[in-house]
Amino acid sequence: MKSRRVVVAALAAAASLLFTACSSGSGDSGGGGPVTLKFQSLSDQPAAIAATNKIVDDWNKAHPDIKVEVVPAGWDGVYDKLVTQFNAGSAPDIIHYEAAGVAPFAKDGYLADLTPYLSEQKKADIPKGVLDSVTVDGKVIAYPTELQSYVVFANKALLAKAGVTVPSGDTMTWDQLRDIAKATTRDGAYGLGWGLSSPTAAMVALAPGFGGKYFEGTGTDAKISIGQGEMALPQLVDAMAHQDNSILPVTLTQSGAKALAPFYAGQTAMTIQGSFQAANIAKDAPAGFDWVVLPTLAGPAGPAQAANPQTLSVSKDSKHVKEAAQFIDFFTSTENLAALNQADTLIPATTSARQALTTKLGAQNGWKQILSSGQYLTSAPYLFVDKYAQWKDTVATPAYQKFLAKQLDAAGLSKALTDGWNSINR
Amino acid sequence: MRALLRPAQYLALAAYILFLGFPLLWLISASVKSSGELNSLSVNLLPRQWHWDNYADALDRQGLVHSAGNSLVVALVSTALVILIALPASYVLARLKGRIRAAGVGWILTSQVFPVVLVILPLFLILRTLGLADSLAGLTLVHTTYTLPFALWMLQGYVTAIPVDLEEAGAMDGAGRWTVLRRIVFPLLAPGIVATAMFSFVSSWNEFFFALVLLQSPENYTLPITLNMFIGGEGKVALGPLAAGAVLAAIPSIVFFTILRRRLTSGLMAGAVKG
Repeated sequence: MKSRRVVVAALAAAASLLFTACSSGSGDSGGGGPVTLKFQSLSDQPAAIAATNKIVDDWNKAHPDIKVEVVPAGWDGVYDKLVTQFNAGSAPDIIHYEAAGVAPFAKDGYLADLTPYLSEQKKADIPKGVLDSVTVDGKVIAYPTELQSYVVFANKALLAKAGVTVPSGDTMTWDQLRDIAKATTRDGAYGLGWGLSSPTAAMVALAPGFGGKYFEGTGTDAKISIGQGEMALPQLVDAMAHQDNSILPVTLTQSGAKALAPFYAGQTAMTIQGSFQAANIAKDAPAGFDWVVLPTLAGPAGPAQAANPQTLSVSKDSKHVKEAAQFIDFFTSTENLAALNQADTLIPATTSARQALTTKLGAQNGWKQILSSGQYLTSAPYLFVDKYAQWKDTVATPAYQKFLAKQLDAAGLSKALTDGWNSINR
Repeated sequence: MRALLRPAQYLALAAYILFLGFPLLWLISASVKSSGELNSLSVNLLPRQWHWDNYADALDRQGLVHSAGNSLVVALVSTALVILIALPASYVLARLKGRIRAAGVGWILTSQVFPVVLVILPLFLILRTLGLADSLAGLTLVHTTYTLPFALWMLQGYVTAIPVDLEEAGAMDGAGRWTVLRRIVFPLLAPGIVATAMFSFVSSWNEFFFALVLLQSPENYTLPITLNMFIGGEGKVALGPLAAGAVLAAIPSIVFFTILRRRLTSGLMAGAVKG
């Protein structure tokens, strides 16, 4: 899939030169009369689709001269679709995707600069780290909308059985997690289940808590740096899995969603998951299953996690960039973002919407801790590195998998990550 | 020993059929399980509780029935076009000797070499120039073009298997060219035509990537595109509704196969008598 992306991207770049004459912008003619904007939405859950449609309906009622049409699309394959759309000049006016996905398109000049349309008030409402994740070469190329963080879900009964008090406070350390995992590894149950079949995403997202950045610089000039900050988390997982034996081994080869099944069955006392899984746990856990979200994990460098928000951006070929930016500004109002994130069980990208949701749902299971974790999300250096996706799939993921399976030691992992990058980014 | 051989053969056949059918059985089972059961450690084939809501959810989501209709139209029309073009072309290819045949075979084999991603962008631009980029007609054209080489290759194999002697015998009896084709070749070729039609239909019915890129308007989406939307970002998958949607999506293919299977059998028998 990823190698296909590379082929498509390369082909698209070449073909765009050949077929420039054929291209034409999307949207309507731009003459007088009402404007119609196409909004390619990736909302997938029924509640999120309904929330998105309501926002669009509200906009259309309030703005009869600027009509927005929702074009639903799926997450799988959307990168290939966008490559073709951009190169053929037929991209929708408003594009829903994730920061990691749109950053390369912005680098290639396909996205409009939204900086002039971003009010100071809105700018102040977006945490700096999150705003940085949608800023390319000093230009804001998308508005962030929804975020997820990694959180720890715990089985209260198994913690109580092991005599562990549920940690309180805003954050807890990884050492605390390790101690709880050790204490709850008893009677055939393991302390932790962590679906790490695709480990790179978790490793790079949680590295900031250990001072890890992985990359310095941007684009093709980026250089990799694998030091203590980057190696601390894989080594901690290795120690928990192979020294403490407190991680259920099979989960290390499973997806996050698969690792929920042993959690429901009482085989694991805790599981590290994307925060959005709270909705699935509430729905799928057996009756009477008493669970809790533990405080945000903090490493030696704090509780920071890399943010890869979902975003809304505007095609540079759109004839109505200003109107599209107005719609996005409306879409990301406090009320709308709160409603959308509630429907998707995600964390709003603006402080005001996060606070609104905390006020509304803070008392409900897990929401308080999940929303609180949103304040620690920070910029992710890997978002602005051209070959990151290729490195992730062809180098990092197999190297981490080998390391977790004890086929590589720490020095071997560090060397594989570094040499692999240098080979790809020549 | 020989008396035991036949039951053992049947047993092996039954095991093989079960092996082949198991994914479908599992899919049907998943389509009637609750989300909680699908995400539990239990691996029971029969659901603890039958959960028919998945079908209602699947049908409620994003125009599943409408997109199934689009898929059906595209698959049937492209199958008809493939057969119409491949039938005479395969006969010519099979019976012709010399450089033209070699060139034809070379073209067929070469056309199978290129991955889809290499042709999608030029194809998109050509179709857009023709005003067919976001249309079922355009997608039908693409499916026809993409399936044709393999269908041609498949069908010419069936034509080659028909002895030329039969045609010559017909001609000796005074039958004209058209009569030979109609009375001798086509009946013997019926199983091949049916098999090729099945292949073309399934190729088009399941095709995802061309539809993903070429179709922009939700009203034109085909079934694979709609089913793809059941798989969300961040690993969110509506497993129950997706399984239910997949079961519904398999029905037209099964119906199509059931209808054509009879023709496949009768064609085989016709061939046996004539041969």
